[in-house]
Amino acid sequence: MKGFAPLLGKEIRALFYAPVAYALIAVFLLLMGYSFTLTLFLNKYATLIHIFFQSAGLLLLIVPIITMRLFAEERKGGTLELLLTAPVRESHVVLAKYVASMAVVLSMIGLTGCYALVLGLFGSPEWGPIYSGYLGLALLSSTLVSIGLAVSALTANQVVAAIVTIGISFTLWMIDSLAGMMPDALERVLISFSLLARFTPFATGAMYTSDFGFFLTSTLLALFLAMRALARR
Amino acid sequence: MTQPVVSAQNLVKSYGPRLAVDGVSFDVQPNEVMGLLGPNGSGKSTILRILTGYLKPTSGTASVAGFDVVDNGLEARGQLGYVPEDVPLYTHMRVIEFLEFMGRVRGVSESGLARSVDRAIERLALGKVRELLIAKLSRGYRQRVAIAQALLGEPKLLILDEPTNGLDPRQIIEVRELIRALSRDLSVLVTSHILAEIERVAHRVAILLDGKLLTVHTLGSQAGGRMKVRVPAGTADEVRRNLASLTGVRIAEVLPVPGLYVLEHDGTAAATIAALVGAGLAVEEATPAGSGLEALFLRLTEGPGA
Repeated sequence: MKGFAPLLGKEIRALFYAPVAYALIAVFLLLMGYSFTLTLFLNKYATLIHIFFQSAGLLLLIVPIITMRLFAEERKGGTLELLLTAPVRESHVVLAKYVASMAVVLSMIGLTGCYALVLGLFGSPEWGPIYSGYLGLALLSSTLVSIGLAVSALTANQVVAAIVTIGISFTLWMIDSLAGMMPDALERVLISFSLLARFTPFATGAMYTSDFGFFLTSTLLALFLAMRALARR
Repeated sequence: MTQPVVSAQNLVKSYGPRLAVDGVSFDVQPNEVMGLLGPNGSGKSTILRILTGYLKPTSGTASVAGFDVVDNGLEARGQLGYVPEDVPLYTHMRVIEFLEFMGRVRGVSESGLARSVDRAIERLALGKVRELLIAKLSRGYRQRVAIAQALLGEPKLLILDEPTNGLDPRQIIEVRELIRALSRDLSVLVTSHILAEIERVAHRVAILLDGKLLTVHTLGSQAGGRMKVRVPAGTADEVRRNLASLTGVRIAEVLPVPGLYVLEHDGTAAATIAALVGAGLAVEEATPAGSGLEALFLRLTEGPGA
Protein backbone atom coordinates (compact mmCIF):
# COMPACT_ATOMS: atom_id res chain seq x y z
CA MET A 1 0.00 0.00 0.00
CA LYS A 2 2.98 2.29 -0.65
CA GLY A 3 1.75 5.71 -1.68
CA PHE A 4 -1.69 5.22 -0.09
CA ALA A 5 -0.94 6.92 3.25
CA PRO A 6 0.04 10.34 1.78
CA LEU A 7 -3.00 10.24 -0.50
CA LEU A 8 -5.28 9.48 2.44
CA GLY A 9 -3.65 12.24 4.51
CA LYS A 10 -4.21 14.73 1.72
CA GLU A 11 -7.87 13.75 1.32
CA ILE A 12 -8.60 13.90 5.03
CA ARG A 13 -6.96 17.31 5.33
CA ALA A 14 -8.85 18.59 2.30
CA LEU A 15 -12.18 17.41 3.70
CA PHE A 16 -11.68 18.49 7.29
CA TYR A 17 -9.94 21.79 6.51
CA ALA A 18 -12.84 22.89 4.35
CA PRO A 19 -15.80 24.51 6.10
CA VAL A 20 -18.24 22.34 4.11
CA ALA A 21 -17.68 19.28 6.30
CA TYR A 22 -18.27 21.23 9.50
CA ALA A 23 -21.35 22.97 8.10
CA LEU A 24 -22.82 19.63 7.05
CA ILE A 25 -22.03 18.00 10.41
CA ALA A 26 -23.56 20.96 12.27
CA VAL A 27 -26.77 20.95 10.21
CA PHE A 28 -27.04 17.17 10.47
CA LEU A 29 -26.66 17.21 14.26
CA LEU A 30 -29.03 20.13 14.64
CA LEU A 31 -31.79 18.40 12.70
CA MET A 32 -31.20 15.06 14.37
CA GLY A 33 -31.04 16.64 17.81
CA TYR A 34 -34.33 18.44 17.21
CA SER A 35 -35.99 15.24 16.04
CA PHE A 36 -34.54 13.17 18.90
CA THR A 37 -35.64 15.64 21.59
CA LEU A 38 -39.10 16.16 20.15
CA THR A 39 -39.82 12.44 19.77
CA LEU A 40 -38.43 11.63 23.19
CA PHE A 41 -40.61 14.21 24.96
CA LEU A 42 -43.74 13.39 22.95
CA ASN A 43 -43.56 9.58 22.90
CA LYS A 44 -41.38 8.84 25.94
CA TYR A 45 -39.94 5.78 24.10
CA ALA A 46 -36.28 4.92 24.67
CA THR A 47 -35.62 4.11 21.00
CA LEU A 48 -33.55 5.50 18.13
CA ILE A 49 -35.43 3.86 15.25
CA HIS A 50 -36.85 7.17 14.01
CA ILE A 51 -33.37 8.73 14.25
CA PHE A 52 -31.93 5.96 12.08
CA PHE A 53 -34.52 6.46 9.36
CA GLN A 54 -34.19 10.24 9.45
CA SER A 55 -30.41 9.97 9.38
CA ALA A 56 -30.63 7.67 6.39
CA GLY A 57 -32.90 10.15 4.62
CA LEU A 58 -30.54 13.04 5.34
CA LEU A 59 -27.53 11.00 4.24
CA LEU A 60 -29.13 10.63 0.81
CA LEU A 61 -28.77 14.41 0.50
CA ILE A 62 -25.60 15.04 2.50
CA VAL A 63 -23.31 12.33 1.09
CA PRO A 64 -23.55 13.64 -2.50
CA ILE A 65 -22.48 17.08 -1.23
CA ILE A 66 -19.41 15.50 0.36
CA THR A 67 -18.52 13.33 -2.64
CA MET A 68 -19.33 15.74 -5.47
CA ARG A 69 -15.97 17.50 -5.32
CA LEU A 70 -13.77 14.43 -4.89
CA PHE A 71 -12.85 13.85 -8.52
CA ALA A 72 -14.82 16.61 -10.25
CA GLU A 73 -12.77 19.32 -8.54
CA GLU A 74 -9.47 17.61 -9.32
CA ARG A 75 -10.50 17.07 -12.92
CA LYS A 76 -11.55 20.69 -13.38
CA GLY A 77 -8.48 22.11 -11.64
CA GLY A 78 -6.13 19.81 -13.56
CA THR A 79 -4.65 18.31 -10.39
CA LEU A 80 -6.01 14.91 -11.41
CA GLU A 81 -3.39 14.94 -14.18
CA LEU A 82 -0.71 15.73 -11.61
CA LEU A 83 -1.91 12.90 -9.38
CA LEU A 84 -2.37 10.24 -12.05
CA THR A 85 0.99 10.93 -13.68
CA ALA A 86 2.75 10.37 -10.35
CA PRO A 87 3.83 6.80 -9.54
CA VAL A 88 0.62 5.93 -7.67
CA ARG A 89 -2.03 3.33 -8.43
CA GLU A 90 -5.47 4.49 -9.52
CA SER A 91 -6.98 2.11 -6.96
CA HIS A 92 -5.09 3.93 -4.18
CA VAL A 93 -6.37 7.29 -5.37
CA VAL A 94 -9.97 6.00 -5.33
CA LEU A 95 -9.59 4.20 -1.98
CA ALA A 96 -8.03 7.25 -0.32
CA LYS A 97 -10.99 9.38 -1.33
CA TYR A 98 -13.42 6.68 -0.20
CA VAL A 99 -11.81 6.24 3.22
CA ALA A 100 -11.56 10.01 3.81
CA SER A 101 -15.22 10.56 2.88
CA MET A 102 -16.27 7.70 5.10
CA ALA A 103 -14.31 9.30 7.93
CA VAL A 104 -16.41 12.48 7.59
CA VAL A 105 -19.71 10.59 7.34
CA LEU A 106 -18.89 8.23 10.20
CA SER A 107 -17.84 11.19 12.40
CA MET A 108 -21.20 12.73 11.66
CA ILE A 109 -23.07 9.52 12.49
CA GLY A 110 -20.81 8.80 15.46
CA LEU A 111 -21.65 12.12 17.07
CA THR A 112 -25.31 11.11 17.23
CA GLY A 113 -24.10 8.42 19.64
CA CYS A 114 -24.72 11.00 22.37
CA TYR A 115 -28.46 10.34 21.91
CA ALA A 116 -27.90 6.68 22.71
CA LEU A 117 -25.86 7.80 25.72
CA VAL A 118 -28.76 9.97 26.92
CA LEU A 119 -31.16 7.06 26.53
CA GLY A 120 -28.76 4.80 28.44
CA LEU A 121 -28.40 7.32 31.27
CA PHE A 122 -32.06 8.15 31.75
CA GLY A 123 -33.84 5.04 30.47
CA SER A 124 -33.34 1.40 29.67
CA PRO A 125 -33.20 1.10 25.87
CA GLU A 126 -32.78 -2.16 23.96
CA TRP A 127 -29.16 -2.00 22.85
CA GLY A 128 -29.40 -4.60 20.09
CA PRO A 129 -31.39 -2.44 17.64
CA ILE A 130 -29.18 0.54 18.48
CA TYR A 131 -26.01 -1.33 17.54
CA SER A 132 -27.56 -2.79 14.40
CA GLY A 133 -29.00 0.60 13.46
CA TYR A 134 -25.59 2.25 13.58
CA LEU A 135 -24.10 -0.63 11.61
CA GLY A 136 -26.85 -0.21 9.03
CA LEU A 137 -26.13 3.52 8.77
CA ALA A 138 -22.41 2.81 8.26
CA LEU A 139 -23.14 0.25 5.53
CA LEU A 140 -25.66 2.54 3.82
CA SER A 141 -23.11 5.38 3.94
CA SER A 142 -20.51 3.13 2.37
CA THR A 143 -22.76 2.41 -0.61
CA LEU A 144 -23.78 6.06 -0.98
CA VAL A 145 -20.18 7.31 -0.76
CA SER A 146 -19.04 4.79 -3.39
CA ILE A 147 -21.85 5.79 -5.75
CA GLY A 148 -20.95 9.47 -5.27
CA LEU A 149 -17.31 8.70 -5.93
CA ALA A 150 -18.07 6.83 -9.16
CA VAL A 151 -20.28 9.66 -10.44
CA SER A 152 -17.70 12.29 -9.47
CA ALA A 153 -15.07 10.37 -11.43
CA LEU A 154 -17.15 10.77 -14.57
CA THR A 155 -17.51 14.55 -14.66
CA ALA A 156 -15.63 17.80 -14.10
CA ASN A 157 -18.77 19.54 -12.91
CA GLN A 158 -19.42 19.28 -9.17
CA VAL A 159 -23.07 20.31 -9.39
CA VAL A 160 -23.77 17.68 -12.03
CA ALA A 161 -21.98 15.11 -9.86
CA ALA A 162 -24.15 16.02 -6.84
CA ILE A 163 -27.44 16.03 -8.77
CA VAL A 164 -26.77 12.71 -10.49
CA THR A 165 -25.68 11.09 -7.20
CA ILE A 166 -28.80 12.35 -5.43
CA GLY A 167 -30.90 11.01 -8.31
CA ILE A 168 -29.31 7.55 -8.20
CA SER A 169 -29.39 7.40 -4.39
CA PHE A 170 -33.08 8.37 -4.11
CA THR A 171 -34.06 6.02 -6.94
CA LEU A 172 -32.32 3.12 -5.21
CA TRP A 173 -33.80 4.15 -1.85
CA MET A 174 -37.41 4.02 -2.97
CA ILE A 175 -37.27 1.59 -5.88
CA ASP A 176 -39.22 -0.98 -3.81
CA SER A 177 -42.36 1.18 -4.00
CA LEU A 178 -42.27 0.69 -7.78
CA ALA A 179 -41.85 -3.05 -7.32
CA GLY A 180 -45.50 -3.59 -6.35
CA MET A 181 -46.58 -2.65 -9.85
CA MET A 182 -44.23 -5.10 -11.53
CA PRO A 183 -44.56 -8.82 -12.34
CA ASP A 184 -43.40 -11.16 -9.57
CA ALA A 185 -39.93 -11.90 -10.95
CA LEU A 186 -39.15 -8.23 -11.53
CA GLU A 187 -40.67 -7.29 -8.18
CA ARG A 188 -38.20 -9.47 -6.34
CA VAL A 189 -35.28 -8.03 -8.32
CA LEU A 190 -36.35 -4.43 -7.68
CA ILE A 191 -36.85 -5.04 -3.97
CA SER A 192 -33.43 -6.63 -3.75
CA PHE A 193 -31.92 -3.37 -5.09
CA SER A 194 -33.88 -1.17 -2.68
CA LEU A 195 -31.68 0.63 -0.16
CA LEU A 196 -34.74 1.17 2.07
CA ALA A 197 -35.64 -2.54 2.03
CA ARG A 198 -32.01 -3.42 2.84
CA PHE A 199 -31.66 -0.81 5.56
CA THR A 200 -34.98 -1.38 7.39
CA PRO A 201 -33.96 -4.67 9.09
CA PHE A 202 -30.79 -3.03 10.49
CA ALA A 203 -32.78 -0.06 11.85
CA THR A 204 -35.30 -2.33 13.53
CA GLY A 205 -32.80 -4.68 15.10
CA ALA A 206 -32.63 -7.53 12.58
CA MET A 207 -29.50 -8.36 10.62
CA TYR A 208 -29.36 -10.60 7.55
CA THR A 209 -26.25 -11.79 5.77
CA SER A 210 -27.88 -10.97 2.43
CA ASP A 211 -28.22 -7.30 3.43
CA PHE A 212 -24.56 -7.21 4.49
CA GLY A 213 -23.67 -8.78 1.19
CA PHE A 214 -25.73 -6.25 -0.74
CA PHE A 215 -24.09 -3.23 0.87
CA LEU A 216 -20.60 -4.67 0.54
CA THR A 217 -21.13 -5.76 -3.06
CA SER A 218 -22.66 -2.43 -4.09
CA THR A 219 -19.74 -0.60 -2.45
CA LEU A 220 -17.15 -2.71 -4.24
CA LEU A 221 -18.98 -2.44 -7.56
CA ALA A 222 -19.22 1.36 -7.33
CA LEU A 223 -15.55 1.65 -6.31
CA PHE A 224 -14.62 -0.56 -9.25
CA LEU A 225 -16.67 1.67 -11.58
CA ALA A 226 -14.88 4.72 -10.16
CA MET A 227 -11.53 3.10 -10.98
CA ARG A 228 -12.72 2.23 -14.49
CA ALA A 229 -13.95 5.79 -14.97
CA LEU A 230 -10.48 7.04 -14.03
CA ALA A 231 -8.77 4.54 -16.30
CA ARG A 232 -10.97 5.58 -19.25
CA ARG A 233 -8.56 8.08 -20.73
CA MET B 1 25.35 2.71 -27.29
CA THR B 2 23.50 4.25 -24.33
CA GLN B 3 19.84 3.46 -23.82
CA PRO B 4 17.57 6.38 -24.72
CA VAL B 5 15.62 7.86 -21.82
CA VAL B 6 12.54 8.11 -24.01
CA SER B 7 11.75 5.87 -26.91
CA ALA B 8 8.50 6.35 -28.81
CA GLN B 9 7.61 4.07 -31.71
CA ASN B 10 4.73 4.73 -34.09
CA LEU B 11 2.57 6.41 -31.47
CA VAL B 12 -1.03 6.88 -32.55
CA LYS B 13 -3.81 8.48 -30.52
CA SER B 14 -7.23 8.85 -32.04
CA TYR B 15 -10.40 10.43 -30.73
CA GLY B 16 -13.06 8.82 -32.90
CA PRO B 17 -12.16 9.52 -36.50
CA ARG B 18 -9.73 12.32 -35.57
CA LEU B 19 -6.04 11.45 -35.26
CA ALA B 20 -4.44 13.62 -32.58
CA VAL B 21 -1.11 11.80 -32.94
CA ASP B 22 -0.35 9.99 -36.17
CA GLY B 23 2.53 7.50 -36.15
CA VAL B 24 5.10 9.55 -34.22
CA SER B 25 8.51 8.01 -33.43
CA PHE B 26 11.38 9.74 -31.68
CA ASP B 27 13.80 9.28 -28.83
CA VAL B 28 15.44 11.38 -26.16
CA GLN B 29 19.01 10.65 -25.14
CA PRO B 30 20.47 11.02 -21.63
CA ASN B 31 21.14 14.66 -20.68
CA GLU B 32 19.53 15.86 -23.86
CA VAL B 33 17.00 18.68 -24.10
CA MET B 34 14.50 17.64 -26.74
CA GLY B 35 11.96 20.16 -27.95
CA LEU B 36 8.56 19.37 -29.41
CA LEU B 37 7.62 22.27 -31.64
CA GLY B 38 4.36 22.80 -33.43
CA PRO B 39 1.34 25.04 -33.63
CA ASN B 40 -1.50 24.67 -31.12
CA GLY B 41 -3.36 21.41 -31.75
CA SER B 42 -0.41 19.70 -33.40
CA GLY B 43 -0.37 16.86 -30.86
CA LYS B 44 2.47 17.98 -28.57
CA SER B 45 0.55 17.76 -25.30
CA THR B 46 -1.08 14.48 -26.32
CA ILE B 47 2.36 12.93 -26.84
CA LEU B 48 3.46 14.14 -23.40
CA ARG B 49 0.28 12.76 -21.84
CA ILE B 50 0.95 9.38 -23.42
CA LEU B 51 4.52 9.36 -22.10
CA THR B 52 3.33 10.30 -18.60
CA GLY B 53 0.68 7.57 -18.61
CA TYR B 54 -2.22 10.00 -18.43
CA LEU B 55 -3.47 8.92 -21.84
CA LYS B 56 -3.21 5.48 -23.36
CA PRO B 57 -1.99 5.30 -26.96
CA THR B 58 -4.42 3.87 -29.51
CA SER B 59 -1.43 2.01 -30.96
CA GLY B 60 2.34 2.15 -30.86
CA THR B 61 4.68 1.87 -27.91
CA ALA B 62 6.61 4.24 -25.71
CA SER B 63 9.06 3.67 -22.91
CA VAL B 64 10.70 5.85 -20.28
CA ALA B 65 14.09 4.68 -18.99
CA GLY B 66 13.34 1.27 -20.46
CA PHE B 67 9.89 0.88 -18.85
CA ASP B 68 6.90 0.61 -21.16
CA VAL B 69 4.46 3.40 -20.28
CA VAL B 70 1.43 1.08 -20.57
CA ASP B 71 2.67 -2.31 -19.36
CA ASN B 72 4.98 -0.94 -16.65
CA GLY B 73 3.23 2.38 -16.10
CA LEU B 74 4.01 2.66 -12.40
CA GLU B 75 7.74 2.13 -12.93
CA ALA B 76 7.79 4.44 -15.97
CA ARG B 77 6.03 7.19 -14.02
CA GLY B 78 8.56 6.76 -11.24
CA GLN B 79 11.31 7.76 -13.68
CA LEU B 80 9.81 11.07 -14.76
CA GLY B 81 8.72 14.41 -13.41
CA TYR B 82 5.94 16.22 -15.22
CA VAL B 83 4.74 19.81 -15.28
CA PRO B 84 1.43 20.06 -17.16
CA GLU B 85 0.64 23.12 -19.26
CA ASP B 86 -1.68 24.96 -16.89
CA VAL B 87 0.50 24.27 -13.82
CA PRO B 88 -2.18 22.58 -11.73
CA LEU B 89 -1.40 22.71 -8.01
CA TYR B 90 -3.28 22.15 -4.75
CA THR B 91 -3.76 25.82 -3.99
CA HIS B 92 -5.09 25.20 -0.47
CA MET B 93 -1.69 23.79 0.54
CA ARG B 94 1.42 25.65 1.63
CA VAL B 95 4.44 25.28 -0.65
CA ILE B 96 6.35 23.10 1.81
CA GLU B 97 3.25 21.00 2.53
CA PHE B 98 2.64 20.47 -1.20
CA LEU B 99 6.24 19.50 -1.90
CA GLU B 100 6.28 17.06 1.02
CA PHE B 101 3.03 15.52 -0.22
CA MET B 102 4.31 15.17 -3.77
CA GLY B 103 7.62 13.79 -2.48
CA ARG B 104 5.79 11.05 -0.57
CA VAL B 105 3.55 10.33 -3.56
CA ARG B 106 6.61 10.14 -5.78
CA GLY B 107 8.07 7.52 -3.47
CA VAL B 108 10.73 9.56 -1.66
CA SER B 109 11.49 7.82 1.66
CA GLU B 110 10.62 9.63 4.91
CA SER B 111 14.31 9.76 5.85
CA GLY B 112 15.26 11.45 2.58
CA LEU B 113 12.17 13.62 2.21
CA ALA B 114 13.38 16.73 4.04
CA ARG B 115 16.69 16.72 2.14
CA SER B 116 14.98 16.16 -1.19
CA VAL B 117 12.45 18.95 -0.59
CA ASP B 118 15.13 21.35 0.65
CA ARG B 119 17.21 20.66 -2.46
CA ALA B 120 14.26 21.36 -4.74
CA ILE B 121 13.44 24.55 -2.82
CA GLU B 122 17.04 25.71 -3.13
CA ARG B 123 17.26 24.84 -6.83
CA LEU B 124 14.09 26.73 -7.64
CA ALA B 125 14.80 29.61 -5.20
CA LEU B 126 11.56 29.02 -3.30
CA GLY B 127 12.99 29.75 0.15
CA LYS B 128 11.10 33.02 0.51
CA VAL B 129 7.71 31.45 -0.17
CA ARG B 130 8.08 28.01 1.39
CA GLU B 131 5.53 28.71 4.13
CA LEU B 132 3.05 30.58 1.93
CA LEU B 133 -0.21 29.21 0.59
CA ILE B 134 0.12 28.31 -3.09
CA ALA B 135 -3.07 30.28 -3.77
CA LYS B 136 -1.19 33.45 -2.84
CA LEU B 137 1.75 32.89 -5.22
CA SER B 138 2.35 34.66 -8.52
CA ARG B 139 2.29 32.74 -11.82
CA GLY B 140 6.08 32.65 -11.87
CA TYR B 141 6.36 31.18 -8.40
CA ARG B 142 3.64 28.64 -9.16
CA GLN B 143 5.62 27.54 -12.19
CA ARG B 144 8.67 27.11 -10.00
CA VAL B 145 6.71 25.10 -7.42
CA ALA B 146 5.42 22.86 -10.21
CA ILE B 147 8.95 22.28 -11.50
CA ALA B 148 10.20 21.69 -7.95
CA GLN B 149 7.65 18.91 -7.38
CA ALA B 150 8.64 17.32 -10.67
CA LEU B 151 12.27 17.13 -9.54
CA LEU B 152 11.49 15.25 -6.31
CA GLY B 153 12.63 11.65 -6.34
CA GLU B 154 15.51 12.33 -8.74
CA PRO B 155 13.71 11.53 -12.01
CA LYS B 156 15.68 10.67 -15.14
CA LEU B 157 13.34 12.70 -17.32
CA LEU B 158 11.68 16.07 -16.82
CA ILE B 159 8.67 16.79 -19.02
CA LEU B 160 7.59 20.41 -19.36
CA ASP B 161 4.49 21.34 -21.32
CA GLU B 162 4.68 24.96 -22.53
CA PRO B 163 6.71 26.02 -19.48
CA THR B 164 6.96 29.70 -20.43
CA ASN B 165 3.25 30.28 -21.02
CA GLY B 166 1.99 33.28 -19.09
CA LEU B 167 5.41 34.25 -17.72
CA ASP B 168 6.97 37.70 -17.96
CA PRO B 169 10.25 38.14 -19.89
CA ARG B 170 12.40 37.86 -16.78
CA GLN B 171 10.66 34.66 -15.68
CA ILE B 172 11.02 33.24 -19.20
CA ILE B 173 14.79 33.80 -19.02
CA GLU B 174 14.86 32.12 -15.58
CA VAL B 175 13.01 29.05 -16.86
CA ARG B 176 15.34 28.88 -19.87
CA GLU B 177 18.43 28.98 -17.66
CA LEU B 178 16.89 26.43 -15.32
CA ILE B 179 16.29 23.98 -18.17
CA ARG B 180 19.89 24.37 -19.31
CA ALA B 181 21.14 23.78 -15.76
CA LEU B 182 18.88 20.76 -15.21
CA SER B 183 20.02 19.09 -18.40
CA ARG B 184 23.37 18.46 -16.72
CA ASP B 185 21.63 15.94 -14.46
CA LEU B 186 18.68 14.64 -16.47
CA SER B 187 16.94 14.65 -19.84
CA VAL B 188 14.33 17.27 -20.58
CA LEU B 189 11.42 17.00 -22.99
CA VAL B 190 9.88 20.41 -23.51
CA THR B 191 7.07 21.60 -25.74
CA SER B 192 6.40 25.03 -27.09
CA HIS B 193 4.60 26.68 -29.93
CA ILE B 194 7.15 29.51 -29.74
CA LEU B 195 10.05 28.72 -32.02
CA ALA B 196 12.49 31.17 -30.44
CA GLU B 197 11.98 29.57 -27.03
CA ILE B 198 12.66 26.05 -28.21
CA GLU B 199 15.77 26.88 -30.18
CA ARG B 200 17.35 28.59 -27.20
CA VAL B 201 17.15 25.57 -24.93
CA ALA B 202 16.88 22.42 -27.00
CA HIS B 203 19.62 20.26 -28.48
CA ARG B 204 17.18 18.70 -30.92
CA VAL B 205 13.72 19.72 -32.03
CA ALA B 206 10.92 17.50 -33.30
CA ILE B 207 8.58 19.50 -35.52
CA LEU B 208 4.95 18.41 -35.43
CA LEU B 209 1.98 19.38 -37.54
CA ASP B 210 -1.52 17.92 -37.37
CA GLY B 211 -0.29 15.04 -35.22
CA LYS B 212 2.47 14.04 -37.64
CA LEU B 213 6.19 14.29 -36.97
CA LEU B 214 7.63 16.25 -39.89
CA THR B 215 11.29 16.06 -38.95
CA VAL B 216 13.76 15.98 -36.08
CA HIS B 217 16.23 18.83 -36.43
CA THR B 218 19.54 19.06 -34.59
CA LEU B 219 20.33 22.54 -33.32
CA GLY B 220 23.67 24.03 -32.45
CA SER B 221 25.51 23.20 -35.67
CA GLN B 222 24.97 26.84 -36.65
CA ALA B 223 24.91 25.77 -40.28
CA GLY B 224 22.12 27.40 -42.22
CA GLY B 225 20.01 30.35 -41.23
CA ARG B 226 19.19 33.93 -41.98
CA MET B 227 21.22 37.00 -41.28
CA LYS B 228 20.64 40.70 -41.63
CA VAL B 229 23.59 42.44 -43.30
CA ARG B 230 24.42 46.07 -43.92
CA VAL B 231 26.14 46.63 -47.26
CA PRO B 232 25.90 50.40 -47.83
CA ALA B 233 27.85 50.46 -51.11
CA GLY B 234 25.97 49.61 -54.30
CA THR B 235 22.37 48.95 -55.26
CA ALA B 236 20.37 45.84 -54.56
CA ASP B 237 20.93 44.64 -58.12
CA GLU B 238 24.69 45.03 -57.76
CA VAL B 239 24.64 43.09 -54.49
CA ARG B 240 22.51 40.39 -56.10
CA ARG B 241 25.03 40.14 -59.01
CA ASN B 242 27.90 39.77 -56.56
CA LEU B 243 26.03 37.05 -54.66
CA ALA B 244 25.40 35.15 -57.86
CA SER B 245 29.04 34.06 -57.83
CA LEU B 246 28.54 32.44 -54.39
CA THR B 247 26.76 29.18 -53.68
CA GLY B 248 24.52 28.71 -50.65
CA VAL B 249 23.79 32.43 -50.13
CA ARG B 250 20.79 34.31 -51.48
CA ILE B 251 18.86 37.48 -50.76
CA ALA B 252 15.66 36.65 -48.87
CA GLU B 253 14.50 40.20 -48.45
CA VAL B 254 15.53 43.72 -49.39
CA LEU B 255 14.66 45.88 -46.40
CA PRO B 256 13.25 49.42 -46.85
CA VAL B 257 16.38 50.99 -45.27
CA PRO B 258 19.00 51.45 -48.04
CA GLY B 259 21.85 48.95 -47.79
CA LEU B 260 20.03 46.50 -45.47
CA TYR B 261 19.33 42.95 -46.68
CA VAL B 262 18.19 39.69 -45.14
CA LEU B 263 20.22 36.80 -46.54
CA GLU B 264 19.54 33.07 -46.35
CA HIS B 265 22.69 31.00 -46.05
CA ASP B 266 23.36 27.27 -45.98
CA GLY B 267 26.81 27.40 -44.33
CA THR B 268 27.80 28.77 -40.94
CA ALA B 269 27.48 32.51 -40.25
CA ALA B 270 31.27 33.03 -40.09
CA ALA B 271 31.90 31.21 -43.36
CA THR B 272 29.11 33.16 -45.06
CA ILE B 273 30.46 36.54 -43.97
CA ALA B 274 33.96 35.58 -45.11
CA ALA B 275 32.52 34.51 -48.47
CA LEU B 276 30.61 37.79 -48.82
CA VAL B 277 33.74 39.83 -48.15
CA GLY B 278 35.70 37.61 -50.48
CA ALA B 279 33.15 38.32 -53.22
CA GLY B 280 33.83 42.02 -52.86
CA LEU B 281 30.89 43.02 -50.71
CA ALA B 282 31.80 45.55 -48.00
CA VAL B 283 29.80 44.10 -45.10
CA GLU B 284 29.67 46.65 -42.27
CA GLU B 285 27.32 44.78 -39.98
CA ALA B 286 25.85 41.28 -39.75
CA THR B 287 23.29 40.07 -37.21
CA PRO B 288 21.32 36.81 -36.98
CA ALA B 289 17.82 37.17 -38.39
CA GLY B 290 16.14 33.95 -37.40
CA SER B 291 17.71 30.54 -37.54
CA GLY B 292 17.83 27.56 -39.78
CA LEU B 293 15.08 26.15 -37.61
CA GLU B 294 12.81 29.04 -38.52
CA ALA B 295 13.42 28.55 -42.22
CA LEU B 296 12.98 24.81 -41.84
CA PHE B 297 9.78 25.22 -39.87
CA LEU B 298 8.33 27.60 -42.43
CA ARG B 299 9.35 25.36 -45.29
CA LEU B 300 7.84 22.24 -43.66
CA THR B 301 4.62 23.87 -42.59
CA GLU B 302 4.02 25.73 -45.86
CA GLY B 303 3.62 22.52 -47.86
CA PRO B 304 0.35 21.30 -49.34
CA GLY B 305 -2.20 20.60 -46.65
CA ALA B 306 -0.25 22.53 -44.03
